[in-house]
Amino acid sequence: MPVLPKLILRRLALGLLTLMVISVLVFAATEALPGDTASQILGKSATPERVERLQDQLGLDRPLIVQYFSWAGGLLRGDAGHSLVGIEVPVTQLLGSKVVNSAVLMLVAALMSIPVSLLLGSLSGRFRDGLFDASVSLGSLTFAALPTFVIGIALILLLATQILHVLPAVSRVQHSASIWSQMELLWLPAATLALASAPFIVRMLRGSMIEVLESDYVQMARLKGAPERIVLQRHALPNAIIPVIQVIALNLAWMAGGVVTVEYLFNYPGIGWALVDAVANRDVPVIQAIVLLVAAVYVTLNLIADILTILISPRLRTGLH
Amino acid sequence: MSHQERESSFDPGKLWEIANSKRVTRRAVLQGAAAAGALAALGPFASACGGDEATTSASPSAAATPKKGGHIRSGITGGNTKDTMDPQASYIDAGKKCEQVFEPLLGWDTESKLELKLAESYDVSADGLEYTVKLKPGLTFHDGKPVTADDVVYSFRRILDPKTVALATEHLTMLEPSGIKRVDDLTVTFTLTQPNSTFREALAYFGCAIVPEGFETPRGVTAEGAIGTGPWKVTSYYPGEQTEYVANRDYWGEGPYADKLTIIEFADPTAKLNALLGGSVDHLAFLDTSQATTIENTPGYQLLEAKTGGFNPYTMAMDLKPFDDVRVRQAFRLMVDRQAMIDQALAGYGWVGNDLFSPFDPAYPNDLPQREQDLEQARSLLKQAGYDNDLNIVLNCSTATGSSDPAAAQVFAQQAKGAGVNVKVNKVDPNVYWNEGNYASYPFAMTMWGTNTYLWLCGACMFPNSPYYETHWKDEEWEKLVLEAYKTADDDARNELVRQCFEIEYERGAYIIYEFNNMLDAHSEKLQGLVADNFGAEGATKQRYNLMYFV
Repeated sequence: MPVLPKLILRRLALGLLTLMVISVLVFAATEALPGDTASQILGKSATPERVERLQDQLGLDRPLIVQYFSWAGGLLRGDAGHSLVGIEVPVTQLLGSKVVNSAVLMLVAALMSIPVSLLLGSLSGRFRDGLFDASVSLGSLTFAALPTFVIGIALILLLATQILHVLPAVSRVQHSASIWSQMELLWLPAATLALASAPFIVRMLRGSMIEVLESDYVQMARLKGAPERIVLQRHALPNAIIPVIQVIALNLAWMAGGVVTVEYLFNYPGIGWALVDAVANRDVPVIQAIVLLVAAVYVTLNLIADILTILISPRLRTGLH
Repeated sequence: MSHQERESSFDPGKLWEIANSKRVTRRAVLQGAAAAGALAALGPFASACGGDEATTSASPSAAATPKKGGHIRSGITGGNTKDTMDPQASYIDAGKKCEQVFEPLLGWDTESKLELKLAESYDVSADGLEYTVKLKPGLTFHDGKPVTADDVVYSFRRILDPKTVALATEHLTMLEPSGIKRVDDLTVTFTLTQPNSTFREALAYFGCAIVPEGFETPRGVTAEGAIGTGPWKVTSYYPGEQTEYVANRDYWGEGPYADKLTIIEFADPTAKLNALLGGSVDHLAFLDTSQATTIENTPGYQLLEAKTGGFNPYTMAMDLKPFDDVRVRQAFRLMVDRQAMIDQALAGYGWVGNDLFSPFDPAYPNDLPQREQDLEQARSLLKQAGYDNDLNIVLNCSTATGSSDPAAAQVFAQQAKGAGVNVKVNKVDPNVYWNEGNYASYPFAMTMWGTNTYLWLCGACMFPNSPYYETHWKDEEWEKLVLEAYKTADDDARNELVRQCFEIEYERGAYIIYEFNNMLDAHSEKLQGLVADNFGAEGATKQRYNLMYFV
């Protein structure tokens, strides 16, 4: 498929352009917010002299364009800059472990939610309107309606503080050890994310499955005498799953951005909280780094989703020629 | 080094500033830098020549020495990535992470009385211009180096250096670098440019903590650079996340009994509570009053309540209508049913105030009658001022000053109706509440303060060039008295002047101080040794982890 690499390249180029535009927008938006870094740092102890002195130290008295290009230039050289509030702490050092934490949490939540959702979704689509379908629907609609925060609190009450005490109530991942050795801290926040995002996969797949099972080629396969299992696996699911891939990509992107409510509730050191903190402090280099990272993740996930869709769907594949 | 920004004439407004570490976002915690001074303890020290040996603070509990060992994990809210291990920096970090490591020459005990820390003794000359401080012998920093007069001199010079952007600068305008002299290995003299009795409080101010000579930790960084004299040594420091310490076994004071300490920061009070109930932390500093019943109903956990001098008052700008009329100010003070407001807004965790701050100041007039709600009198005063059920006013509030303050504002609006005043409550975004254009210019707003002595707090808010000139207070009679008080070295004479200032404020002041706060901490019953402190910031114990032990 010689066309596919060309498609990928085009999409990557578009992605880069998107990132550049985002960086300018974020910079402008942060500057437009009332308050500035120096005042935020000093808080109630801000006096005009102090603010001025601090701004001088932080290089914030330079014109905005100079600040932006100075930062952009650094980025192109591979230097993401230094946090404004923690002088001399490189952004990469500040965010490094948090990015890993968010990524691992996303991975664990995805592993918890995706296989189960796919199973539930396809089965309830296949056996629709039965008892199984009704209960899955009820469950998924309930979790879809509940705010993520509430799901988290319910899990904590159930498994950590009130009813059972089998898991820790907070998940402060330590810097001193690898995250893989602290996995028991991740189960509750990951379960919260999984329960919050799974309903959308289940519902999407169910609807898609129902539609696909009505189609001609599935009827053809059944008339051919193919066992139901083969009909589902080989004929129905690959087609039904196409829209679901998009949903999964969006879910993963949502998780990757760091879900702040979950991080606050579990005291989890991820990038969502880091972003909120950085915005409150008007810490522009950190804000830029996180936003661009998340935007890049979105772009990449969407690209992967599109490629998978093309690969799975023979019609689309041949349609490229 | 230039001191252009400091005028050479006596300028109390520039002098003092109450440090507030508050991140103006979520959890607003009562702050305080220098605590209330009941200067009573200074009697033996304050006279002319001849220093006195002073007793140090609280002695260990009467029971057997607590057993050593264990790892204290404590949860706090309000920390931020901008926090720093530089004790002299531009603001004081939330959660007292830095205060475990560094100490000033003097300090405040649990009852807000001045106590000796690194100083063994000090005395003041008769003219109030010269302070001589002697260090305790044998003190060492965490790296083993002895604490000497050179470190003290370096510390204060560093504070006065504009490059440091130090918080204590405004408190030390009566001190020039040339006035700091080393006398011998353990003695330093401070010669002020003019007499000022609050220099004592400056010596006890955390922003004047003693650092080793050559200390230059950049703002916001490194455990390795944080070498102090305090009971805990930093082993790892992630501001906004958590800080880890080991006990300083050579600490000059009491404790620490535990071996390790970890202070963990939470953005969310619910998460902090869950951490305690789930066993992830042993202690929780500053429990929200709404969560108190949860602790009371859960076996294995205890509350510690401290009656403090911190307060969240209403401020009336007396140069703006309608508060330029003293009768309106008096009427507003009479509109408030104080106990009811405490019960409704603070869930009862507070004690009634009488519109005067610094309740633990030795000159505080406890004999003045407690103001009560008197709607009749309020109405009558308003009528005299020309308002007859037609006074409309906006009350600006924010969670930036306290999580219960918007609720208190609502209660005020309700109570005001009884006097025919229509109050509209305006809730301001905490991120912008303290900004220049906002806070200083509101005619009617709320704010927050910790426990401080009267003169210290006046410098922060009662003069036109004070950093927090929130009531735009101007009163000639009062000003003469207070300026005289600053210059008076004799305690009794000064207290007499201060008392007169109190009386003036009682009559015609521009604050409505309806309460003082009670602070709550929560802890597992396995952790004991928590002592209530009336400082009123960051919880009920002022986070004296060196006194805590496991049973």
